[in-house]
Amino acid sequence: MTLHGYLLLGLVLFSMGLFAVLWRRNLIAVLIGVELMMNAASLNIMAFNHYRVSDPSTGQIFVLIIIGLAAAEVAIFLSIILNLYRVQREIDVEGITELRG
Amino acid sequence: MLEQVAVGGFVVLVLAGGVMAAWMRHILYAIIGLGISLFGLAGLFLNLGSPFVASMQILIYIGGIVVAIIFAMMLSIAMTVQPLERNRPKVWFAGLCAATFFGGVAWLLERTEFEVIPPAAAQSWELAQLGHALLNRYNLVFETLSLVLLLAIIGAILIARQERTS
Amino acid sequence: METLPLVLGTIFAPLLGFLIAILLLINCPRVAQTVVLAGSALSVAGSAALLIRGPVDPVRFLWFTSGDIELRFGFLLDGVSLVFGVAVALITFCVMVYSLGYMSGDPSRTRYFAMLGFFAWSMLGFVYAVDLLQSFIFWELIGLASFFLIGFWYEKPSAAAAAKKAFLMTRVGDVGLFIGILTILQVTGDFDIPRLLDPDLGLVGLATPAMLTAITLLIFLGIVGKSAQFPLHTWLPDAMEGPTPVSALLHSATMVAAGVFLMARLFPLFMAAETTRTVILCIATFTALLSATMAMVDRDIKKVLAYSSISQLSFMLMALAAGALFAGYFHLITHAIFKALLFLCSGLYIHHLETNDMEEIGRRGGRRMPFATIGLVIGGAALAGIPPLGGFFSKEEIFAQLGRDGFTVFTAGAFAAAFLTAYYTFRMIFLVTVPERTENGEEPTDHGEHGSHAGEPWSMGVPVAILALGAMVIGFAGPRIAAMLGVRPEEHAFASMIPAVAVVLAGVAVAWLDFGRGSASPQRRGFIARVPALHTLFSNQWYVDDLYRAVLVRFTNAVATLLHAVETRGLDGGFNRLGLGVLGLGVRSTRVQGGWVQFYSGCAIIFLGAIAFYIGAR
Repeated sequence: MTLHGYLLLGLVLFSMGLFAVLWRRNLIAVLIGVELMMNAASLNIMAFNHYRVSDPSTGQIFVLIIIGLAAAEVAIFLSIILNLYRVQREIDVEGITELRG
Repeated sequence: MLEQVAVGGFVVLVLAGGVMAAWMRHILYAIIGLGISLFGLAGLFLNLGSPFVASMQILIYIGGIVVAIIFAMMLSIAMTVQPLERNRPKVWFAGLCAATFFGGVAWLLERTEFEVIPPAAAQSWELAQLGHALLNRYNLVFETLSLVLLLAIIGAILIARQERTS
Repeated sequence: METLPLVLGTIFAPLLGFLIAILLLINCPRVAQTVVLAGSALSVAGSAALLIRGPVDPVRFLWFTSGDIELRFGFLLDGVSLVFGVAVALITFCVMVYSLGYMSGDPSRTRYFAMLGFFAWSMLGFVYAVDLLQSFIFWELIGLASFFLIGFWYEKPSAAAAAKKAFLMTRVGDVGLFIGILTILQVTGDFDIPRLLDPDLGLVGLATPAMLTAITLLIFLGIVGKSAQFPLHTWLPDAMEGPTPVSALLHSATMVAAGVFLMARLFPLFMAAETTRTVILCIATFTALLSATMAMVDRDIKKVLAYSSISQLSFMLMALAAGALFAGYFHLITHAIFKALLFLCSGLYIHHLETNDMEEIGRRGGRRMPFATIGLVIGGAALAGIPPLGGFFSKEEIFAQLGRDGFTVFTAGAFAAAFLTAYYTFRMIFLVTVPERTENGEEPTDHGEHGSHAGEPWSMGVPVAILALGAMVIGFAGPRIAAMLGVRPEEHAFASMIPAVAVVLAGVAVAWLDFGRGSASPQRRGFIARVPALHTLFSNQWYVDDLYRAVLVRFTNAVATLLHAVETRGLDGGFNRLGLGVLGLGVRSTRVQGGWVQFYSGCAIIFLGAIAFYIGAR
C-alpha cells in the first residue's frame, strides 16, 4: 500500500466517525465516533512516520500520546455520561438541549 | 504476496468494523465494531513497522478503552431495552456533512503530491530508540501527559462522585 | 564537612519542619513549634558555617534537558548570597522564638509555625539559587507563603482581602519578571546566573543594548511588585493585617527585600543598561519621598513602619541604580536587622496594650515596658541614621555614592527622604515614650490592668535583645561585607559625613519641637498639619488606592456612556427599523438554535469541507 492509500483509508475512517458523531442519539455511540476519528488521525501519523520521516520514533511517540490522551478523554467522558444518566435518566443527545437559544 | 493479503485483510477489518461502529443501531454491536476496527488498525501499524505501537493499541485501546465503554453501557441502559429509532432527517443531514467533508478532503488529497523518502534503517525502529527519545527529547511531553492523566482521573472521580446525601 | 550537605541542610531543614508539623503534628502545637524551631536553628547554624567557609564555586545538578535547554538546580555560594542567607536565617529564627510568646494563645499556631518554616525554606532557596528559573520558582513560593501568612487570621475579612491584594499586586510584577526571564532564555539559551553575568559570553555580550534595556526593565517590574515600589506599593501597608511577627519577618526584613536582592544578584546586567538605571533612580527617589510623607501622618505604628520599609527599600534601589553595589547591599542587611527589631518592639506594645495607635500606646504607659522601649529607641535611631548605629553607616555610604556624580536631583531627594525618615521615626518614638500632659500639666496615670509589666515573656524579650545588639554592631561589619562582595569600600573623609548627620539631626530636632516637648495641647500635631491640604493628601496615601479604584470604575462608566451616546444619537433612528427586522429574523431563527450540538458541529464541518474544496481548486 502506498502513502496515498493509507491517507485515503484514514480519511474514510474519519468520515465514518464524523458521520457517527453527527447522527447518533446515544451519547456512548457519539463517543465511539470520536474514537474512530482519533484512530484515523493515528493511522495518518503512522503512515507519514513510515514514509516521510527520518527519525521514526517521533511519530510513534505521537501515537502513544494520542492513545494516552484518548484514555484520559474516555475516563472524563464516561463519568460525564454516568452523571448525566443519574440526573436525567437518559443519555439521548436530543434530550440534552441546555444550549437552546 | 502474503503480506499483500494480510494488509488487505486488515483494511477490510478496519472498514467493516468502522461501518459497524458507525451504523449499527444496537450499542453493543457498535462497540464490537469499534473493537474490530481497532484490531485492524493495530495490524496496519505492524505493517508500518512499529510492533510496539501495535501492541499498545491492542493493550490500551481494545483492552482498556473498549472495555470501559462496555462498562458505561451496562451501567446506563438495560440490555433488553430496544435501541432508539434513527432520526431520519438527522441521518440525512449527518450523511451530507460527512460526505461534504470526505469529498473536500479527498479532492485535496488527490491533488497533493507527497515526496516519499526511503524508510529509516531498521535499528532506528528499535524499542530502545523509542525509549530514549521518550525520556530525553520528548521528556516534557511525557511529563505533561502523565499530568493530564492524573487530572483526568481526579476529574472523573469528581464528576462521577455520588453525593452522599442523596 | 562537605559544602553540599551543609547547604542542603540549611535550605531543607525548615521544609522538613514544615512537612512534619503540617502532616503529623497538626493537633499538638507544642511539639510542632519545637520541631519548626529546631529546623530553623539548623539553618542558622548551616548558613553561619557556610559564611565562615567563605565563597566557593557554585554547585549544580542537572534536573532535565528538553531540546537544547538544560534546566539545572543548584546553589550559588558567593558573597552576595552567603551574607544575606545568614541574615535571613537569623531573623527567621529570632521571629520564631518571638512568636512562641506572641502566638501562645492562638489555637491554630501549628499552621502558623508550619508556614513560617515553609517561608524560611522558600526564602533560603531563593537566596542560594544558581538558576534563574529556580529563583523564579522560589520567588513565587515566597509570594505564596506571604499570602498564607498575611491571611493567617482568614476569618477577618480585612486580612483575607489584604492577602488577596498582596498576592495579586505582586503577581502583576511577576508577569513582567517571567517575560524577562523567558527573554533571557531566548537570547542566551541559558538560565545559569554566573554564566549570564559573564561580561563577554553572558547576556551583556550577547544582547543588543535595546534588548538588554527591555530585559532589565521587565525584571525591574518584578522588583517593583515584590519590593512594593510605586506604583505597586499599596499592598504593603495593607499586609500589616497579618500577625506582627510576620510583618517583621516578611514585610520588612526578608520577603520585600527579595526584590532588592534580585537586583543585587543581577547587578552587572543593570549596570550595562543605562536607561533602566535612570528609570529605577526616578521611581525609587519618588517612592522614597512618597512613602516617607505618608509615614509622617499615620497614627498606626505598624503602618508607619510599613511606609518606612517602602522608603528604605527605595533607598537601596537608588544606591544599586547609582552603581553602588556595596552601599545598597549593606543597607539591605542593616535595614533587615533594625526594621525587624522595630516591628518586634511594636509587636510587644500591640500584644500587651492591645492597640496599634501610637498616641494610645503612649497614653497606656508604653514607656514602662523596658525591652520594647529600649529596642524601639535603638531601632529608631538606627533607622534614622544616628551614628554609630547600623543605619548610619549604610546610609552614609549611599549618600557618598549618590553624591559621587555631583549634586543631582536624586541626591536632593535622598537627603529630603533622610530628613523625613528621621522626623517620622522620632515622632513615633516621642509619641510612644513621652506621655502627653493633661490640662493641668500632670502626667496621666496608667490605665488599670495595663500597668503591670509581666507581659514581656523571655521568648519575646530575648529576640528583641539579640536584634538590638545586632543593630548596634552591624554598622562596623561594613568592611567585612564589602570584602565578601569583592568590593573595596572607599574611605570617607570625616567632613563628608557632616551633611548626612546634619540632615538627620535636623529631622530629630523638628520632631522634638513638634512632639517631644510634651506640648500642652492634648492633640499634638506635626508641622505638616499646619498645611491642611498636604496633611489630607498624606493621610489618604496620596489617593493612589482610591485612584486605582476610581480609574477602573470611571473607565468602565466612560465606555458605557460613550456607547450609549453613539447608540441614542447616531444609530437609533436609522437602525430601529432594521433592528425590528433583525428581531423578527431572530425570532424565526431561534428555531434553528435548538441546542442540538450535533447540528452545530455539522454546520461547521460543512464549511470545513467547503474550505478543503476551495484550497484544492486553487
